[in-house]
Amino acid sequence: MADAEKIASKQKQISISEFFEKNKHFLGFDTLQRAVITAVKEAVDNSLDACEEARILPELKVEINKLKGDKLELICRDNGPGIPRDSVENVFGKFLLGSRFHAIRQTRGQQGIGITGVVMYSQLTTGSKTHVISKIKSDSSAVHVDLGLDTRKNKATKSNEIRDVWFEDGEEVVNGLKIKTVMKAKYQRGRQSVHQYLRMTSIVNPHATIQLIVRDGDDVIDQGHWIRTTEKLPRVVEEIKPHPHGIHLGQLQRMLKEAPERRLTSFLRHNFSGVSMRAAKEILRRSELEEGRTPVRIKADEAQALLDSFQEVKLLAPPTDCLSPIEEILIKKGLSKAIDSRFASTVTRKPTVSQGNPFQIEVGLVFGGDLAADGPIEVLRFANRVPLMYQQGGCLMTKALESVNWKQYGLDHPGGKGLPKGPAAVLIHLASTNVQFTSEAKEAVSDNEEVFEEIRRAMLEVGRGLKNHLKKSKQKKKAQEKFDLINIILPEISRKSSEMLGREEPDLSPVITRIMNAVFLEDDVSWDNDAKQNICSVSIYNYTARARAYTILAKWPEGEGVSMAENPRGGRKETNGLWAWRLDTLNPGESAEIRFTVEGLTKGDWNETDIFFRGNGDIIGANKIDEKLLDEMRKVEALAVAEAEANPKYEDIGSLERVLDRAEPVEGLNAGKEESDSETTPAETEGTPAETENWGSLAMEDDVE
Amino acid sequence: MSANGYTKEQVIEALHDIAGEMHNKMLKGDPPTMTLPVRTKQNISFDPKLGVYKYGKKKSTRDATSLGSARQLLRALHVTEFIEEMIEAGKSSTLREMYYISEGWGHGKFGSQNESNNLAEDLEIITKCMREDFKLRPEEDGARIIGNITFEERNRRGQWMRINCRDDVGDSGYGVPYNVELEKLRLVDHDVDFIMAIETGGMFDRLVENGFDESSRCALVHLKGQPARSTRRIIKRMNEEWNLPVLVFLDGDPWSYRIYASIAYGAIKTAHISEYLATPSAVYLGIRAGDIESYDLPADDLSSKDIQALNAELSDPRFADAEWQEEIKLMLELGKKAEQQSLAKYGLDFVTDTYLPEKLAEILGR
Repeated sequence: MADAEKIASKQKQISISEFFEKNKHFLGFDTLQRAVITAVKEAVDNSLDACEEARILPELKVEINKLKGDKLELICRDNGPGIPRDSVENVFGKFLLGSRFHAIRQTRGQQGIGITGVVMYSQLTTGSKTHVISKIKSDSSAVHVDLGLDTRKNKATKSNEIRDVWFEDGEEVVNGLKIKTVMKAKYQRGRQSVHQYLRMTSIVNPHATIQLIVRDGDDVIDQGHWIRTTEKLPRVVEEIKPHPHGIHLGQLQRMLKEAPERRLTSFLRHNFSGVSMRAAKEILRRSELEEGRTPVRIKADEAQALLDSFQEVKLLAPPTDCLSPIEEILIKKGLSKAIDSRFASTVTRKPTVSQGNPFQIEVGLVFGGDLAADGPIEVLRFANRVPLMYQQGGCLMTKALESVNWKQYGLDHPGGKGLPKGPAAVLIHLASTNVQFTSEAKEAVSDNEEVFEEIRRAMLEVGRGLKNHLKKSKQKKKAQEKFDLINIILPEISRKSSEMLGREEPDLSPVITRIMNAVFLEDDVSWDNDAKQNICSVSIYNYTARARAYTILAKWPEGEGVSMAENPRGGRKETNGLWAWRLDTLNPGESAEIRFTVEGLTKGDWNETDIFFRGNGDIIGANKIDEKLLDEMRKVEALAVAEAEANPKYEDIGSLERVLDRAEPVEGLNAGKEESDSETTPAETEGTPAETENWGSLAMEDDVE
Repeated sequence: MSANGYTKEQVIEALHDIAGEMHNKMLKGDPPTMTLPVRTKQNISFDPKLGVYKYGKKKSTRDATSLGSARQLLRALHVTEFIEEMIEAGKSSTLREMYYISEGWGHGKFGSQNESNNLAEDLEIITKCMREDFKLRPEEDGARIIGNITFEERNRRGQWMRINCRDDVGDSGYGVPYNVELEKLRLVDHDVDFIMAIETGGMFDRLVENGFDESSRCALVHLKGQPARSTRRIIKRMNEEWNLPVLVFLDGDPWSYRIYASIAYGAIKTAHISEYLATPSAVYLGIRAGDIESYDLPADDLSSKDIQALNAELSDPRFADAEWQEEIKLMLELGKKAEQQSLAKYGLDFVTDTYLPEKLAEILGR
């Protein structure tokens, strides 16, 4: 070998190790506490990505054993597809620079430097090899091998390679991957810990079962077991080509250089999304480039002209099916798995585009239950299903959260600044083909107006849900007090005073009417574990001096695979997710119950309903339906149906929520007293008011009589 | 027989009237109610006939339209029943015992001891009975007396015991029982010129140690902060039956003014029985706001709560006269308050050798 080459390779060797040493903070290995989190993160992200691609429900097990002298043994095992023998070296021994250069899509593995970093860190800090066992289904035995890193050649060094069957817990493993390594690291508990990382990971990966055991000798010092709450794997994401609005000069030049196309028009149409023939011609016209030019021969200043005209020409937005949102109901499940709470509100916004990059925001808010009431709320940040655990304050997500006036939504927010306080936790998930971070550490999302605005809007939506819930619980509590008063206390006062005085007990019904002077409604949604059904019951009590008639409308989670099982009172569908029943005459002192069951959901999916009514006189515990809004809603729905027929993928979720949220509930319990003038007299109930309603406009009239 | 001379039957009848009001309302189809005087400073006024402050005419009606008031009504019935049982059985109970007994009253149980104490007072006010009539007694009386006065107290065996509060007691003095009415306590004899009521135990002990009761021919009564009913009652009886002047020696702060007012004019909470408890001729001796300056006493700054209390006193009818208004405003102006024991700045004997003699000369002219 020539001297120059020797020197060069030596320099290279030094520089890679040095690069690692110097950039430990970028790479997530800056402190002993963080090193183990980063290592787990790389292994877990890889496992989840691999399982997702192979359509396997992930079972992950992470074991950490404390060794002497600030060293930890880390063992990660998955039930993924495994890695073929010939690829093991590449996966663990090379700093990958992106195998699919032009294609972009949403993956977890954009973070950090990959599992190679873990192999390198172990080698640098303890001199240990990383032991890998990989088994793919089509092989009869597993590969067992010790891996190190030849930094000079940027490739793995293999030793002790054997092929043998692989047993875990007494069973032969059909497919999977196991990594065992020893590194200098410290295990810590708390907000920034492996435990918290896995807990957060399980929230946004409700399809995964994750287990953690941390041992110090024979003692288990920390553990966690998060069991999957859904069998539904995340959607397979499509790869998309880059959009001209999201591209940099260097990238464009590389693409031009490597282009096999002979004409610029085909280059533009083949390598970018959103570019039609018309648009391609327009771009070239503006850049003053001939359509027939060969891409490879485009000079730097010409590429710049091309880039400039990208911004001037109207282009189609990039497709958004490259994104994989968690979806509202799964966020709810994920959150309920990790946090015991009373109320959960979730929102999945529609995908949108910022600078040529599709992105989608999801937000979940949980409230009450075990959550601590004092101190700031917990913020759970995720980018492409990967938890972000550091630099919370500098993250765009936190800033967007803090920009909302939470006081308005029922949380304590001193001075309207910083994090709100209260027994709540907020989850924010950004799914994007290109998440922009503030630094290489990839822990805080950088500022972007469109993303900020989307997060803010999602926050306002869950905020409205919270406000509604708090209002409802307050009303419920007040109504409950009134019920206690008339059902328990008043009869006791009557009995005791009569006994004491030796008099007859008075008839309490007129007294009750005087005290309540309103129509009350109680609703409850419960889960019947035996029948695997939700039971929704609605009770209406007429504590006024007049007979009443109403139509009662209840919101229910109508949707694919979700249907009403029992509904003895019949009624009919008012619109999607809203069912109506008619109550003809409810005499003074009488009550009525509506009860129906819903099947197709699982426990925790549906905990609260909203009840509306039509008819004269207010009902405490229900809102008067806004007919105009309802019409609007029907129109929106009709449009959605038409669109769904044209494009079966399209589904408008949440429009009902939005419209009904605008209906204001009756404030306070005395509302009933103020409207006594408009009460229906007994004589009037015949033929009014329920029958004068708009029943004719709907087809199903069989059960109206 | 009790202080107001009600018989057992009259007490029970008065309590039954409360249940009667509830029952009558329900018969008419209305929510049951309980009517009682408003118990705030806005509803107390000077009764020239009795010379004390009493509740005025403002009434409030508690009706069972909210859960809280309905519970109060139910509790009143439970308490009535409980009192009836005690009267029948010839027993009595402490207010605290009643609070614990209420555990078994279901929705009628008390949330706190304060609630049960307040309700007992409500019943007194409505029925015009006293809690002794209800066989309810406070936890402890608190007060103690030292001086050359002689009482006869009926002990548990029903025998009358003669006690001289100087010769027959130890250093802690004579303990005042919760019931100081005629059936329990007789005022027999005395050889003193006045009664001095003292707020703090420290000062009481100082005066005892310095032999102030003998040197100044007085009886010392330790108030233990806000004085219990029996303490105020025994002071009043000594004042009326023996015709002895009463001097009140307290800390110099807004709360002491209230203690004095409860002794001299009647407390807001017990304005229904002011004529039994208040001693209108009692004189406020000190510490006065002016003393802080004239004796140059070590003083603390008024807290925001102190200032709030002083401002509330400015609109309290009991402090309406010019002298009190001036005193309160002076303290606000100084922004200071001082403790009785701050007099120790000039030595342990200063209070008995200098301060009190000067004050006594001013007040009693001796």
